[in-house]
Amino acid sequence: MSAPHRVVRDIPRRTFLEVGLKGGLGMAAVPTAIERLFALGAPQALVAPPVQMDPAVLDRVIRKALEKGGEFADVYVETRTARSLLMEESRFKSAVLGISRGAGVRVILGDKTGYAFTDEVTEDKLLRAAEVASFVARGGTPAKPVNVRAEARASFVNVKLPLGDVADEKRLDICRRANQAALEYDKRIKMASVSYYDEVRGRVIANSEGVFLTNELPLLFFIVQALSEGNNTRHMGRERLSRHSGFEMFDEVPPEQVARSSAREAIAMLDATDAPSGKMDVVMQNGWGGVLVHEAVGHPLEGDGISKKLGVFTGKFGQKVASPLFTMVDDSSIPNARGTTSFDDEGTQGRRNVLIKDGVLVRFMTDILSARQLKMDRTGNGRRESFRYLPIPRMTNTFIDNGKDRPEDILASTKSGIYVQALSGGSVDDVSGVFNFTCREAYLIENGRKTAPIKGATLIGNCLDIIKDIDAVGNDLDFGPGICGKGQAAEVNAGQPTVRIRGINVGGTRGRG
Amino acid sequence: MTDNKALAEQLVKRCLAKGGDAAEVYIESSRGLNVEVRNGDVEIIQEAATSGVGIRVFLGGRMAFSHCNDAADGALDAAISSAIAFARTTTADASNVLPADAGVTAIDGLYDPSMAKVPMQAKIDLAKAVEKLAMNDPRISKSAGASYGEDETEIILANSNGLSKGCRLSGCGFGVSAVAVKGDVQSPGGESCSRRFFADLPPAADIARRAAKNALELLDPRPVQTQRAAVLVDPDVTGAILGGLLAAVNGETVLQGASFLGAMLDKAIASALLTLVDDGTRPKGLASRPFDGEGVPTQRRVIVDRGVLRTFMYNTIVATRAGVKSTGNATRGGYASLPDIGPHNVSMAAGTTPPDEIVKATKLGLWLKDVTGYGINPVNGNFSGGASGLWIENGKVAYAVRGLTIASTAREMLNGIDMVGRDVDFDRRFAAPLFRIKEMQIGGE
Repeated sequence: MSAPHRVVRDIPRRTFLEVGLKGGLGMAAVPTAIERLFALGAPQALVAPPVQMDPAVLDRVIRKALEKGGEFADVYVETRTARSLLMEESRFKSAVLGISRGAGVRVILGDKTGYAFTDEVTEDKLLRAAEVASFVARGGTPAKPVNVRAEARASFVNVKLPLGDVADEKRLDICRRANQAALEYDKRIKMASVSYYDEVRGRVIANSEGVFLTNELPLLFFIVQALSEGNNTRHMGRERLSRHSGFEMFDEVPPEQVARSSAREAIAMLDATDAPSGKMDVVMQNGWGGVLVHEAVGHPLEGDGISKKLGVFTGKFGQKVASPLFTMVDDSSIPNARGTTSFDDEGTQGRRNVLIKDGVLVRFMTDILSARQLKMDRTGNGRRESFRYLPIPRMTNTFIDNGKDRPEDILASTKSGIYVQALSGGSVDDVSGVFNFTCREAYLIENGRKTAPIKGATLIGNCLDIIKDIDAVGNDLDFGPGICGKGQAAEVNAGQPTVRIRGINVGGTRGRG
Repeated sequence: MTDNKALAEQLVKRCLAKGGDAAEVYIESSRGLNVEVRNGDVEIIQEAATSGVGIRVFLGGRMAFSHCNDAADGALDAAISSAIAFARTTTADASNVLPADAGVTAIDGLYDPSMAKVPMQAKIDLAKAVEKLAMNDPRISKSAGASYGEDETEIILANSNGLSKGCRLSGCGFGVSAVAVKGDVQSPGGESCSRRFFADLPPAADIARRAAKNALELLDPRPVQTQRAAVLVDPDVTGAILGGLLAAVNGETVLQGASFLGAMLDKAIASALLTLVDDGTRPKGLASRPFDGEGVPTQRRVIVDRGVLRTFMYNTIVATRAGVKSTGNATRGGYASLPDIGPHNVSMAAGTTPPDEIVKATKLGLWLKDVTGYGINPVNGNFSGGASGLWIENGKVAYAVRGLTIASTAREMLNGIDMVGRDVDFDRRFAAPLFRIKEMQIGGE
């Protein structure tokens, strides 16, 4: 266990495949459903219906879980069907299809948590998991569970073309179109790498408070990388597109557009010169740059660290912590966005949570456990990678809210510094508050103008300083998709309008200016 | 093991019967325990057993993969059928072949049969002990938690070339994260260890002492100016500094023209003081395996020999494309992952200099203790990262530094290695001695 680094990245191909495949792709409640699902020539059956759980079984499992003295118990049943394709060097390198299902039982007593999971979703195995999970609560006074009652909730994920209705050939075609568009962009593009991933995750969430929810979340993730080669150097450009959505995502944003954006970066960066080093002003373009606040501010505002009195925001609730221009939000209710959950993996309804308002810290992000510990609201941030993991406080769609400045004015009023157009990702040590992130596409700013591209530089700072040093906030909020790692993976969006940060430490290979 | 072995062989036959020309079945079953404690109390106990099957089928040079964690016959049949259907859609490639090597590398000490018999309470007590010992230092004011974890895994692999192999692996470890506080500054320090055998775990006191030391030595940082200076690479951060090199010797990256080392085979890429070895055969090694993710026997290979690049890493498909033999570097992230390419136990050979001498010989430099970022970019060799550590002036540790940046290029860094320590702790994932890079750009005030 090293220092508790949190990481979020925009996902290079390998990591994407790993994360995409981890925990199994897959779904289907019973073997017969799987057979139906994969019957040859029946692509319309690719997505299985969500697991049907008998409420009486759930009640018996929850009672068993609380038997030894737990105060709270929940059952999470998950099914997943996923497909991924990798096209590289104009060939389909791999085609992967996966199905998985499983369930976990959790017991909480005070600050203690017991957890056990099983691949087999049968009453026997669930009761056994409940017994193992209850071990931690020995000696407590058992809570009396409320019998579960099925409940329907509004969804923030609307689907026009369900993934299960899409023929494989259409998925392949999306990859081919992107590959061609990347290669045609410029003759210096030598190769494209196109990753396509989709999944449907079915969830059943039931707990000792009587919650019983069943739901399906589709997810699409599309990445195009383009390799450029110039005089003695090369660059891998990257662009991503991801939503909780049906296949209509590709009608709204064509694959060619993603590919061209990736190729544009690869070509632009062939002319990159050495980056300067030392403290300087940084203008960050709108979009995925929001990873800055995801790392620097978001992670330290997660309830688990706060309840342990760890981290830089300990004891700062209600205080002014940032520039008055700075408002930061985590919103899991943005329709079809990559970080949207409808309700979290503990059944708490998704919503817009303002975390820092005009510079004042007004809310932490909680799951059920940290909300109990902090005696605060549940904010709907209890998420888990799969049934193999406990839910923990996680971000969803996290962003700096719009300000009043025009992005072009922010650049024009910056005499010198660097303009960051795209970031790879970053990390934070949320105890010390030191964060860093790596530029993928950046330019020098000279006399208020974007000039020469510079090689990938690291930006580093302390989160408490950085949010005080933001002195301009644009009105052009946008988002980018990423995978956030905190011992387990979560799909997130990070967003921001164009912002300027005064005096950030930039790590280039040459001396200042 | 025999059950899954028979199942794997039978599934291979079923793949062929359903129309595949070739097939491979990988079955992984594992059991795990995780205990987390904080402030002397158990916070989390997690236990589970899990298993899954990954199936690769080949059809006229086309390949597809499916996986599922349901061992019922119907589910497995569906997984096979869907893999075959999916394979029809991909691109044919003559290099899409499976290995046939019957051999297995004999390696001692990969499975501890007695780990599971150690009582749960002893494991909880170990996590409690390491936390208590770390907190014994009066300057450590908070615990960020301690943990114990273990797992046992059985891997079965069979393919239509008659290859059929299995192995058992175990692993366990514990660690603690302690926090030193001074004014507004919180400085975390973690230390952990992992071994194949429970009985080989080091004393809790050693781990606790190192965690406390890590927290304390960076507690009181001071700023430094932006400058060029020597950089001492601590064994804790070797992977962060040299890891990109391993991605650049991935045979597939090389074939794609996406590696800065692509044209450098048998040429000098580094100082003659640098020797790097990838060893999949080390007894009790945490990344040792009798066979790789496709069943090819593992090897010990010198990647860089006294500064000269000697090999790239290959799995079977990429080796076939490149016209060479697999180096036994097929890796698998689990049953749900296709074989990729990666290293096993990587180590940098020891030099001759006592570590103290390296510090003494450094007039001005940064002793790196923590590095963030992506490391060396395998595509173009550029390097930039965040850095914390100890500042060295006139041959002595002067004070702690935090929030610096370091930047260079792979060429400068590798050729700039000018002193290499004589001690290597082989229980680390990327084992290396302390070494020095003559000069890097350091960004500060």
